[in-house]
Amino acid sequence: MPPDLLHAIQANLLSPAVLFFVLGVIAALVKSDLKFPEALYVTLTIYLLTAIGFKGGVAISEAGLGTVWLPALAALALGAAIPLWTYPVLRFAGKFPAVDAAAVAAHYGSVSAVTFIAATNFLNQVNEPFENYATAFLAVMESPAIVVGILLGKRAASGSSSIWGDSTRRVLHEAAFGRSVLLLVGALIIGALCGKRGLTMTEGFFVTPFQGVLALFLLEMGMVAARRLGDLKKVGIFLLAFGVLAPLLHGCIGVALGHWAGLSLGGAMLFGVLAASASYIAAPAAMRLSLPEANPTLYLTSALAITFPFNITVGIPVYFALARWWNS
Amino acid sequence: MKTHPMKLVTVICETLAREHLTRLLAAVGAHGYTLFPVEGDGSQGQRPGDIAEFGNIQLEVVVQPAIAEQLLARLHGEFFPRFAMIAYTSDIQVLRPDKF
Repeated sequence: MPPDLLHAIQANLLSPAVLFFVLGVIAALVKSDLKFPEALYVTLTIYLLTAIGFKGGVAISEAGLGTVWLPALAALALGAAIPLWTYPVLRFAGKFPAVDAAAVAAHYGSVSAVTFIAATNFLNQVNEPFENYATAFLAVMESPAIVVGILLGKRAASGSSSIWGDSTRRVLHEAAFGRSVLLLVGALIIGALCGKRGLTMTEGFFVTPFQGVLALFLLEMGMVAARRLGDLKKVGIFLLAFGVLAPLLHGCIGVALGHWAGLSLGGAMLFGVLAASASYIAAPAAMRLSLPEANPTLYLTSALAITFPFNITVGIPVYFALARWWNS
Repeated sequence: MKTHPMKLVTVICETLAREHLTRLLAAVGAHGYTLFPVEGDGSQGQRPGDIAEFGNIQLEVVVQPAIAEQLLARLHGEFFPRFAMIAYTSDIQVLRPDKF
């Protein structure tokens, strides 16, 4: 392993956010009675999404839409395209039923906001500048893969009764106005309208406490992910391998594409992180609504218990090393 | 005071089944329902309820006996194979039968 990568992994593992994540995992494994109330979980999510959206919007106002549209379009296209190759891999190499393959594929094309935030945190820590407007890529990448995955699954699922029939319209509504997309896009627009002045006004709330809130949130996510560890033996060796190899492959593609779209080293790395991450809130909810036949243990376990911890701990520094290698 | 027999149908299921369930209620002709988040443990794993989407809900609906039967039949046929869910009925007495 090159010393650079080793150093990056070490820097990542010793950040407060990741250490609190590990604490959460331990808390769940030793069956501690530690538990976050649901309202706190929701509050932390709203805070994190609003804060990064707002900061991203301010960055857009400074960079100008002319700089942002090309990489944003590339992000959208990549998100929609990822299920198109993950689906056949799962279906034919993994021998999964079509609806399950489609559901898992949708998760890997969609994104995890927390993984993205942890990656920006990492870049700050190693003093690597990045385009703050990358949050816009996060916002546009959440939904396309979910829609593509559902279309793939719907094509395969036969004999759906009327109860499940008209859910497509709801999914499109959720894709455009679901809470995370609404908050991110809304905060991006507000940030873009306010500009630098708005950031100065809200800095004490949106910027200064951010690290602490993220650490607290990852503590909870450690518990949530670790509770799923028991399901690992149910999903089989193929999905275990998929949960690690798919993000690595998508990370490479993302870094390359980000670089091609003209992003800096840090921006290309974030692009890789977005491609590599898998959704575990928006995508499962959409799958339960539109493809209730798909087995939730498969997609929740792979996205939440395998890919998410892998990305948070090892993936982020690996994508950073990739971006650096690509840039040199 | 005169009371009238009615059926209380209780459904406990994963939160993500909510929309399908409320639409089924409307389809069989229920006039309303009460819903609250709950936690618990069952054959499909613990539902600790700290993330709403991963938790359980309990839904209660008062209906005429014929509707209760229809509701249970459709839950059995269409929902049980797809969602983590239990459902049961109880006999209850209400004051205003026309409300249900």
